Amino acid sequence: MNIPSLNIKESWVARELKHDRQLFRAQFSSDGKFIAAGGQDKLVYVWELEGEKKTAFNAHKTWVSSLTFHPREKHLFTADYLGVIHCWNYEANSKPQWTISNADRDNVRALIVTPDGKYLISAGDDAIIKVWNPANGKPVAQLEGHKECIFSLAVSPDGKHLVSGDLFGSVLQWNIGDWKPVRKLDAKILHTRLDNFIADVGGVRSLAFSKNGKLLAVGGMKEAKSNAFCPGKPTVLIFDWASGKQKNELGIKGKSDGPFNALRFLDDGTLIGHTEILHANSELTFWKMDAPNPLHSITNGSAYDLSLHPDGRQLLVPTYVSGGASGNGARKQHREKYDPNGTNLKIFNLFAKPPEEEKEN
Amino acid sequence: MEKLPPYACGSSEHGMSRRRMLGTLGGAIGFGSLLQPTIAEQIRNHGKRVCLIWLDGGVSQYESWHPLPESKFAGPFRSIKTSIPGIHFSELMPHTAKIAHKISVIRSMETKDPNHSSGVPRVQRGDPLDRGVDYPYLGSAIAKLAGPANPELPPYVWIKPGNGGFIHREAGFLGSKYGALALGDGKPPVHIHRPDSISAEIDDARNVLRQKVNERFKAYRHASEIDAYETSFDLARQLMARKDIFDDTKLSAKDQDRYGSHPLGRHILRARQLLEAGVRFVKVNSYHWDTHGDNFNMSQRLVPQVDQPFAALINDLEDRGMLDHTLVIVMSEFGRTPIINSRLGRDHWPDCWSIGLAGCGIKHGAVIGKTTKDGAFVDGEGYDIGHLFHTIFTLLDINPRKTNYRHKGQKLAIANDECEPIKEVMM
Repeated sequence: MNIPSLNIKESWVARELKHDRQLFRAQFSSDGKFIAAGGQDKLVYVWELEGEKKTAFNAHKTWVSSLTFHPREKHLFTADYLGVIHCWNYEANSKPQWTISNADRDNVRALIVTPDGKYLISAGDDAIIKVWNPANGKPVAQLEGHKECIFSLAVSPDGKHLVSGDLFGSVLQWNIGDWKPVRKLDAKILHTRLDNFIADVGGVRSLAFSKNGKLLAVGGMKEAKSNAFCPGKPTVLIFDWASGKQKNELGIKGKSDGPFNALRFLDDGTLIGHTEILHANSELTFWKMDAPNPLHSITNGSAYDLSLHPDGRQLLVPTYVSGGASGNGARKQHREKYDPNGTNLKIFNLFAKPPEEEKEN
Repeated sequence: MEKLPPYACGSSEHGMSRRRMLGTLGGAIGFGSLLQPTIAEQIRNHGKRVCLIWLDGGVSQYESWHPLPESKFAGPFRSIKTSIPGIHFSELMPHTAKIAHKISVIRSMETKDPNHSSGVPRVQRGDPLDRGVDYPYLGSAIAKLAGPANPELPPYVWIKPGNGGFIHREAGFLGSKYGALALGDGKPPVHIHRPDSISAEIDDARNVLRQKVNERFKAYRHASEIDAYETSFDLARQLMARKDIFDDTKLSAKDQDRYGSHPLGRHILRARQLLEAGVRFVKVNSYHWDTHGDNFNMSQRLVPQVDQPFAALINDLEDRGMLDHTLVIVMSEFGRTPIINSRLGRDHWPDCWSIGLAGCGIKHGAVIGKTTKDGAFVDGEGYDIGHLFHTIFTLLDINPRKTNYRHKGQKLAIANDECEPIKEVMM
């Protein structure tokens, strides 16, 4: 099959997988044949894309907070708000292969496997990065340096470095292998604590390296106005990886007021981000690195994750869907049918619609 | 210019004379020297007290009093055992879970207002039936109905973030003198200390002159405005005599650790000092609980800020023999929606929410109120705020059926006529 050329402005929704609860995390498998997603209903779901077979994996006792596939093995790693990580053989639909019951004091907010498949890395509320053997879940190393909870992790394309981002806007760089700290990048603009706040707001919610490893994108929001609604300006900071200096700051066209929870670079250097907004439509945003303003944006519901298919042409976006009863009470009129909101796992094709499909639609 | 009557309602009841206010307790006793039995005895002699901890914006019941981990609306946090067998709170309330047997929880509050602008006044006024008047907030109502517990101190003190001052708007038709003395960030009024350059005698002479000028001014003005000014001045003078209350060097480091260094912890500790000293009603406000966005990250950081000092306050009041005479209430204007929105927040939910209560005749270890299995709605009859006001007044020995306000000759019920006390939480 010929891989179509990227054409961001002609992107379109090729497929939708609907679920009746909110799913915060969703990823393509490394072979591109499966999608895994998890969130509010404690189960991990795996869709086989050919045929849409959906399997539920049941072991977490609370919300699923993060998940990632092994780059080569048929293993899926999922983590939750109680500090638990499970490893699944996602084609076998069995019980977990192994479990780490204390990967964090509380929420494991980020989970990643190095490109060579040698290390599984987790981080979260206790501010300690933990390195595990993905074959058996045995501990390998612990990295201490953050002062507050860690939201995000990324590995450089050459597999040599790990970066981690925290609530205070610190991005730390670590060597993979000897696990030594290397340097700190300053993204503190993504953290806000005004005098009248009673909690810290924001943090480094997402990290992504460009495919050539020359740029690091750091996502979140700046200038939060309160610690209640937590509204801010969705912001991406672009760092030159060699010098560690900030090169650019990116925003959005629309009115979203939540953080960028996920960022992905395409082969051609285009950066993609998605943010959130309360009771309205958010947007999927595309930037070229030579311009501060978005190249393109697509109106979409709020979303909390992004995953790029191995072919580099399909983007998975777990999108919030309102069930119709959201908003302030009193809601007695909904008493007979008052149900949680749902998710639409949208797969965007990042190229122009072929003429035959245009005709069919 | 025609002289106005002393009060718009023509009543002399509003008078809370300076003589009455400054009546003695049989000699001033330094706050730091009060021994626990002495405080308990004083409270018995001078009446019951109230501490209202107000979490403005609405704390989530799922992330505090009613976690329901198996509900389709549950948050991600653990549900933990409390000291009451079979009862669980959110893991964000570990300190309160340990003292659950000393308090009561109502999980079936069902109020009317889904908005802050109308919900806060409706709830703090007790939602009386509409009589065409501006009813007082709870603190002002109790200042009027019970008077000061210690005549040396103001009956209603409001500890809040930001600025302080004399805030009369909460008094409604009672008149501005029943307003709140607000302590910004829990600190005493700025001018509490008499400058060394002014002797006590000179200060007294200045005060006599001020009163004379006020009397003359009052003759041609609406009396209530002057009252507000005089009351605030009197309150400042009262506090000048009791600046020991604000001497934090008398607090142990352990005390401060137990309440926490965050504003709500410091303010609840200040509330304890004021209750000990004899303030009738202390309201402690914390703002920014309106977690429409990022509810779970915020609750993780906010709920512990009330959990720790609330539990410390209950333990301390009990240790001092004060809990039987001091009512403590933790509440907001409503709870938060079961449904989680697009910003991973919860919106306003008056339909079914929870409050915590302790002391002054509140049952020990009662958790009342049936809800639907998922916690979204009350199963059966819920309790409106009028029921809570009846309960509060009854616990303070104020019979809401026999006690009325008088305003412009009109008899006005002190609580919603259609409600009753919540007997399930009363001993």
